Amino acid sequence: MGEKSAMSIPRMHMMMCFGTACISSGAERVREAMAAALDEHDMQDEVAIIETGCNGFCAGGPIVVVYPGGVFYTKVQPEDAAEIVAEHVVKGRPVERLMYRHPTTKAIIPLYEDIPFFARQELRVLRNKGRIAAESIEEYIARDGYQGFAKALLEMTPDEVVEEVLASGLRGRGGAGFPTGLKWKFCRAAEGDQKYILCNADEGDPGAFMDRSVLESDPHAVLEGMMIGARAIGASEGYIYCRAEYPLALERIDAALNDCRRYGLLGENIMDTDFSFDIHVARGSGAFVCGEETALMTSIEGHRGEPRPRPPFPAQKGLWGKPSVLNNVETLANIAQILRNGKDWFRSVGTEKSPGTKIFALSGAVNNVGLVEVPLGIPLGDIVFDIGGGIPNGKEYKAAQLGGPSGGCVPKDHLNTPVDFESLPEIGAIMGSGGLIVMDEDTCMVDMARFFLDFIQDESCGKCPPCRVGTKRMLEIVTRICEGEGEEGDIERLVALGETIKETALCGLGQTAPNPVLSMIRYFRHEWEEHIRDRHCVAGVCANMFMARCSNACPASVNVPGFVSLVGEARYDEALRVHRNRNPLASICARVCFHPCESKCQRAGLDAPVAIRHVKRFMVEQEEEPLLPEMQVDEANAQRKVAIVGAGPAGLSCAFFLARLGYKPVVFEAEGKAGGMLIQAIPSYRLPRNELEREIAMIEKMGATIECGKALGRDFTLKSLKDDGYEAVFVAVGAPKGSRIGIPGEDGPGVYDGLGFLKEYNLTGTAPMGRKVAVIGGGNAAIDAARTALRLGAEEVRILYRRTRAQMPAWAEEVDAADLEGIQLFTLVAPEEIVRDGDGNVAGVRCRKMVLGDYDRSGRRRPVADEAADFMVEADTVIAAIGQWLDADAVMDGTKLDTSRGGYLAADPTTGRTSEEWVFAGGDDVTGPASVVAAIGAGEKAAVGIDELLTGANHAFWRREVDVQTAFDPDADPSETPRAEVDELPLERRRTTFDEVELGWAAEVAVAEARRCLRCDYGKYCSQG
Amino acid sequence: MSPADAPTAKIRNLADLTAIKERTQADTALREDGYHVRCTVHMGTCGIASGSRVVLATAMEELAASGRLDIRVTTSGCIGACEHEPEMTVEVLNEEPVLYGYLDADKTRRVFQDHVLGGTVVPEYAVSLGDHVGGVDAQGRQRTPKPDTEKWS
Amino acid sequence: MSEEVKQCSCCEEEASEEELLARLDEVIEEYQGKPGALIPVLQYAQGIYGYLPEVALKRVALGLHKPYSEVAGVVGFYSYFSTVPRGKNLIRVCLGTACYVRGGKQVLDAIKSRLGIDVGETTEDRLFSLEIARCFGACGLAPAMSIGDEVFKRVRPARVPEILSRYNEVDAEKEGVVNVAG
Repeated sequence: MGEKSAMSIPRMHMMMCFGTACISSGAERVREAMAAALDEHDMQDEVAIIETGCNGFCAGGPIVVVYPGGVFYTKVQPEDAAEIVAEHVVKGRPVERLMYRHPTTKAIIPLYEDIPFFARQELRVLRNKGRIAAESIEEYIARDGYQGFAKALLEMTPDEVVEEVLASGLRGRGGAGFPTGLKWKFCRAAEGDQKYILCNADEGDPGAFMDRSVLESDPHAVLEGMMIGARAIGASEGYIYCRAEYPLALERIDAALNDCRRYGLLGENIMDTDFSFDIHVARGSGAFVCGEETALMTSIEGHRGEPRPRPPFPAQKGLWGKPSVLNNVETLANIAQILRNGKDWFRSVGTEKSPGTKIFALSGAVNNVGLVEVPLGIPLGDIVFDIGGGIPNGKEYKAAQLGGPSGGCVPKDHLNTPVDFESLPEIGAIMGSGGLIVMDEDTCMVDMARFFLDFIQDESCGKCPPCRVGTKRMLEIVTRICEGEGEEGDIERLVALGETIKETALCGLGQTAPNPVLSMIRYFRHEWEEHIRDRHCVAGVCANMFMARCSNACPASVNVPGFVSLVGEARYDEALRVHRNRNPLASICARVCFHPCESKCQRAGLDAPVAIRHVKRFMVEQEEEPLLPEMQVDEANAQRKVAIVGAGPAGLSCAFFLARLGYKPVVFEAEGKAGGMLIQAIPSYRLPRNELEREIAMIEKMGATIECGKALGRDFTLKSLKDDGYEAVFVAVGAPKGSRIGIPGEDGPGVYDGLGFLKEYNLTGTAPMGRKVAVIGGGNAAIDAARTALRLGAEEVRILYRRTRAQMPAWAEEVDAADLEGIQLFTLVAPEEIVRDGDGNVAGVRCRKMVLGDYDRSGRRRPVADEAADFMVEADTVIAAIGQWLDADAVMDGTKLDTSRGGYLAADPTTGRTSEEWVFAGGDDVTGPASVVAAIGAGEKAAVGIDELLTGANHAFWRREVDVQTAFDPDADPSETPRAEVDELPLERRRTTFDEVELGWAAEVAVAEARRCLRCDYGKYCSQG
Repeated sequence: MSPADAPTAKIRNLADLTAIKERTQADTALREDGYHVRCTVHMGTCGIASGSRVVLATAMEELAASGRLDIRVTTSGCIGACEHEPEMTVEVLNEEPVLYGYLDADKTRRVFQDHVLGGTVVPEYAVSLGDHVGGVDAQGRQRTPKPDTEKWS
Repeated sequence: MSEEVKQCSCCEEEASEEELLARLDEVIEEYQGKPGALIPVLQYAQGIYGYLPEVALKRVALGLHKPYSEVAGVVGFYSYFSTVPRGKNLIRVCLGTACYVRGGKQVLDAIKSRLGIDVGETTEDRLFSLEIARCFGACGLAPAMSIGDEVFKRVRPARVPEILSRYNEVDAEKEGVVNVAG
């Protein structure tokens, strides 16, 4: 025996996924490299490379699974092959670098059954995926293949087969959910010398690929189902109607059919019985309507694939007028296992009326795209969040679309809906064939409606007018809305048209065509209204409505590319002027804005978003004395008395814009200093006070008067303002009341509300502070309170929050900063009692551990009490920052204003006008606690609204976009440049001082960062044509 | 493994189907989770230099000849007992692992026949027994040598 | 299907019209008298020619004893069939739902503006034709596009010029065309 091994059977199997997705990701090149690496070690006989069908985890391709052991490698590149062979194959040391990592914990998960994506799945139809060589009939047989067929053929009568399938409760997986056994029973009973069984593999739903995957990874499972079906109904011929766009599936079907014929499983007198059967392949030529059963049959017959009216049903008169059964790929792939394992096994998962499993093609805005097989009845949220791993890039779930062009969408308040044939239609969606597309906040629902209508319009066969003309009319209306030309009444017109089409179209395709639109109107009507009324697309998709997505996302509509590109040319004064044209509080926003602009930045598609807020920070630092903006002198306006109640960001913004129109508004502020939450709640380590004062002084200089120490309800009322001759009032008092926790022990010394605590410190410079502080809540106020407590000398600061860290409403960077400074985060805990000692002092907080339960209306999992016993968190001081509210009655004080749900003031989102003509409102007192920049935007709208009330016209000259005239070469291809980092104050100083944490940039850093802007606004200014 | 080599006699009954199933399972068994015996050939640089490839090849030949589907032959890196190489650890489910050293083709054959197939430890080739036998698991991590019964069953 | 298409593209310069017709006749003969023959024959015909010229449609009508109007009607119904020749490289941008949600339309717009052609058109140099695909079934790789047989996954509009430039050189070696978008 020499050194060279001569192994008769391989000791290792490398299962390489050769599904369409992995092939596109380079699986073939990986196989070549792997084979070469094995050759190099002279191990080509020791290790077998086996091509499998789609593994399902398409997001991780190319995928290689190594047996024995089942080590799961993802995203394998050709250059990794040498390492896998040298380390894993030769030395038995798997390569950790290539293993799957948990997306949040980053822990290595070597075995694929432990990966969360697979762990919640129930692999039945997909039991062989990745486990067998897709082209090997022998390996299929080794996994009990054709046992079900043998049983049906040799041990059962056809009637018994039909009965077994009927009793299993299997329902068609193609969409409609008709009981498969019943279909077979009808066809079996039909008279006819010739019958057909057909397999629908014309997967037309533009978002579904599970049939392709099944055919690619386990073609024999489908063939076996067809054979059993043929035996049951008495068919001697079968057809598989498969899309020509699926070359790999077609290739594997052909190979599988040949193997079956070779083994005598197809042909004459199969297994020495009188049963003869063969299967033909028909290639679909790209017509969505051919997924409809009668149209599919017309197409096999060689005609235009137009549907036929039913009755007669295909079970009586189908293909070529003969009794026929059409089943979908996934339905057929269930059959053999039902025969082999019995109906009770099949019913052991799923629900009573929807037994078994369903495969979904999970895609869109979700981390783990791929193929998933789950028990029917599973909550939709579990598929999206547990299996799918949630939404990428920290974005928010908006809706899931099920059932493709015939289906509907499921918004976040229905995430608990069980996925089965009964529950989905109740909320306007359908199971469909299994396309499940997740949409995040970047998806515009009006645009999606247009997408589906466009598809349907394209695919309508044109035979019946409701579908052909009706969907065209709907498409015209939706297109108009998307282009910013929507009209009042369009929504009602769409609904009416949709209902008519549903009732009058000839086939299933037409009858269901309006569903996506109706569903998107049902759940996202406000978005449609915004498009029509405000010409605003919140998702930043309908490009006719804005210049750039960043500006569109800014509640104050700042021309972001404008000021950023000016910074890029070191033209700082002009840049600031562009910024203040829409947002006066540039310096404030440079510190505290949560920058919705950055999350919509197109640059993220190339490398990372432009650091817009930090560019702004550099820009404002270059300013010595605030320059006054463009203003109009208007004697008439100067004489009109306008009052603003509250000198927070909304009030200040309103004063600024009114002053630009020549008004001299008076701002009444309850506290001793102007600034509202900016000064009362936001700590100075985030917002240095001189920055605040500078911009307030600018607004005063423009002609606004700020009167401090004058509180609504104490020193004056809305009515008294009117009596004093004020023609219009803008109410911007915020939502300054802290909510109570509502637990025993809350009343008494040592317990403070978060806002009260922050306000006391920020306005007086001192606040009572213990040694051990427990902050309850997960919002920005809670984090601010905790970080302030730390700086005031508390030794231990803990934040108690009832949900998870990821679910905290506070901005992630604030939470991270708190964490870094040594504040302990206790998540999934709910306070039950504030425990006091004999003297009545706070001794601690008794808490209960929470676990995440089902989904609440906000689409987040609801925390529910854990079984485990409660526990104590030691504390001598408790700060409750769990919410804020508005005492609306105190505001109104005799002047009746409408309120919204939650007790806030009701105001028109476009003008700020309340139910009382002369009273306007905006900011937190309308929206509830929200952002600074949202309040600034509301102040501007109210200023325009007030001017319109007083003058009868809109004079908002700043809303007209002016070209910024900066250089830009649209033909230069951008190259990858990392986002510039921001330095921070050293930790030891952060913990003890209130100095600003974030440090500024040098000029060259700021200019380079500004130049990363892709100038999405280019060519969109009117002056550029 | 490849369809081209496989016999193409028609399947006429359940027995024909079962025959193909069993024949193919000899090839595919190593992908299944449950197994009874695992032989780990230690293939560090030192092991390969001292002839562990021969041990591996012999073990595979024996496995093929036995027709057993519940035995896995795997490799690992160096376990730090280089003086005994070539080495192989034999782990029978629910029993203490045994490390064999100074193996050659004949000795490997004997260990396979007696211990792996027959269940009787071959004391004269054994270097150490029990918990202190090092080794790495299928994922390459240092493992507690006692077989993890949950994972194996 | 792809098999036939490949066969055609490797010898498209060489085969004369007679040879093409002869190959079509073989197909027609094989399918003559079989039920449902029209669509498979048309699929093969498109494989032979790369598209469906009138001469081929007439031959099919004649061979299968169908009225020409019926043949043309079937061709017009299915999106797979094309009666105009395509460019050397067929670009198909997937606008299935998943690709659409992930920005397929922006990819399409980038290609349109780069090549200066609209969907269904061919560039003047006959190098590229542009089409929309309703779904490749590669939803996991959205947004996806294909050029010839090569599938590009997770395409970003900013990458489009780079991808296209690889096909610009007429002699671009197949090996040089790698998936750069991943």
